[in-house]
Amino acid sequence: MKKLIEILEELQPDVDYETCEDLVDGRYLDSLTILSLISEIEEEFDVQIPTVEIVPANFNSAASIWALIEKLQEEM
Amino acid sequence: MTYFGIRYVFLFLPIVVLLYNFVPKKIKPLLLLIASYVFFYIKSKKLIVFLILSSLSIYLAGLMIKKIIHKRDEIIREVTKEEKKSIKEKFKNKKKLVLVLTIVFNVAFLFYFKYLNFFFKVLNGIFSVSGLDMTLKLFKHLAPIGISFYTLQAISYLVDVYNEKIEADENPLKVMLYLAFFPTVMEGPITRFNDVKDKIWAGCKVKYQNLCFGYQRIMFGLFKKYVIADRLNIFVKLTFKHYMDYSGITLALGAIFYTILLYMEFSGTMDIVIGTAEIFDIKIKENFKQPFLSKNISEFWSRWHISLGLWFKDYIFYPVSLSKGVKNLTSNIRKKWGNKVSSLIMGAIALFAVWSLNGLWHGAGYTFIVFGYYHFILILLGNIFEPTIVKVCEKNNIDRKSGFYKTIQIIKTTILVFIGELIFRAPNLTVAFGMLKRIFTKFSLNGFKTEVLTLGLDISDFIIVLLALVVIIIISLLREKDINIREKISTKPIVFRWALFYALIIAIILFGAFGPGYAPVDPIYADF
Repeated sequence: MKKLIEILEELQPDVDYETCEDLVDGRYLDSLTILSLISEIEEEFDVQIPTVEIVPANFNSAASIWALIEKLQEEM
Repeated sequence: MTYFGIRYVFLFLPIVVLLYNFVPKKIKPLLLLIASYVFFYIKSKKLIVFLILSSLSIYLAGLMIKKIIHKRDEIIREVTKEEKKSIKEKFKNKKKLVLVLTIVFNVAFLFYFKYLNFFFKVLNGIFSVSGLDMTLKLFKHLAPIGISFYTLQAISYLVDVYNEKIEADENPLKVMLYLAFFPTVMEGPITRFNDVKDKIWAGCKVKYQNLCFGYQRIMFGLFKKYVIADRLNIFVKLTFKHYMDYSGITLALGAIFYTILLYMEFSGTMDIVIGTAEIFDIKIKENFKQPFLSKNISEFWSRWHISLGLWFKDYIFYPVSLSKGVKNLTSNIRKKWGNKVSSLIMGAIALFAVWSLNGLWHGAGYTFIVFGYYHFILILLGNIFEPTIVKVCEKNNIDRKSGFYKTIQIIKTTILVFIGELIFRAPNLTVAFGMLKRIFTKFSLNGFKTEVLTLGLDISDFIIVLLALVVIIIISLLREKDINIREKISTKPIVFRWALFYALIIAIILFGAFGPGYAPVDPIYADF
């Protein structure tokens, strides 16, 4: 989780990732930042994020992104 | 019959509502399906066959994919972890075959009705340029209403089943109603099966509050169309038709009026669509969210025709940008230039695909293609220069969150939108570029003064439009602040509420642009 927050802060520093729960709906993460984030996650955590998982519910908070990573790691 | 017509608002809809309330709960969804097919038949007659074929194709393909998934899961339970991968791959290919064939089947209808003539025209142009003595015969035919909308819905249903995001429905009538639902079939919003499946089939009784809220929303849509859009149409028609006769300011006003007209017509239709669905207790997601408060073009398209933007994002942008081909293509760039540059290129490739299709979706013509690429270039430039702008602002102590900076951004975006909509409205590229050239080169204030009142609108028309727009702007600003006006009104005494409702009806009757001298706007998006 700590590594994920580091990645997020590097991509978009102006957000408090501990509390923010509308990263996509509040337009803090736009489509390009999400693409960068996916590339970083796939490399760092060795998972493949299928496009079907790219929904606001999975990316609206650091916690939900982390839950997605854990789910994908389990499925491997 | 259009959503704005008296026959729809005061005849078709009340009859459907009455019958819907009269029949037993189990029959209610069926009645909605019959009403939807009657509505479709009135507009498109025997072309209804294509809607039914599309519905049945996705229903059957959905069930086939579901069967494949069940079989895969049964086999996977009994094999080792190593074998799982190859079995999954084998079944994925089977699913994919059903998906691709069904999408091709549906897109073929769309291509035939919307693009074949344009394709022939392009080929004839190529034959002529290359000196070949060949001409493909063009033909005239009407397309089934809303084919561009319901085909996208059909694809979304099937792709979601394929991706196991939703389960294929066993009830063919429910899938048929999903595609044909009469409020959304003609002009959207492009709904998702998961969002509406339960409500369209719930058969809830019409409640008094839903009926009031629904008809209030419908009246608001009529107000936008009859008081503003229809009034501005005559001015727009004349400026676009005889653009060589008018000065730059008049043409710029024509382009601005067209954008306002388009917004009022389309968002007004959405008011009627969402209001109609609300009567039946079916919640349809909003298709507009104060688009003219956008700070850049990318944001504009997340607030304007939202359901189309989301469709392209989910079914084109992410699948293309994260496809194996694009990832492989950009992997070297990533190593060399870093993640941000490679994401920018991945995004650019996907954006190109999105805007090529978005332009064509709006119509088979060169103006629509240019309209698409115009937005592609603007969004791409925005993505490329965003980091530089941030740095320049930081260096010069410019607060990007200040009201002043945001206002400048909103004005810039709105001007870019006006230019885009001018290209969209122009009958061909000669007119589009001719108008743009005159706007910037024939900027005559004196010409404007003599022309402005000769284009079908007098001073009182301008005042009515201005006052009506003030009402719309106030409502938009309140909505932007998440203030629900209708709920606020519903807490007021009954006399106040009815007075307001009657005031809206009287405003439409008194200030609606009816009769000779005005040119009603045809449903613009119904042709897509």
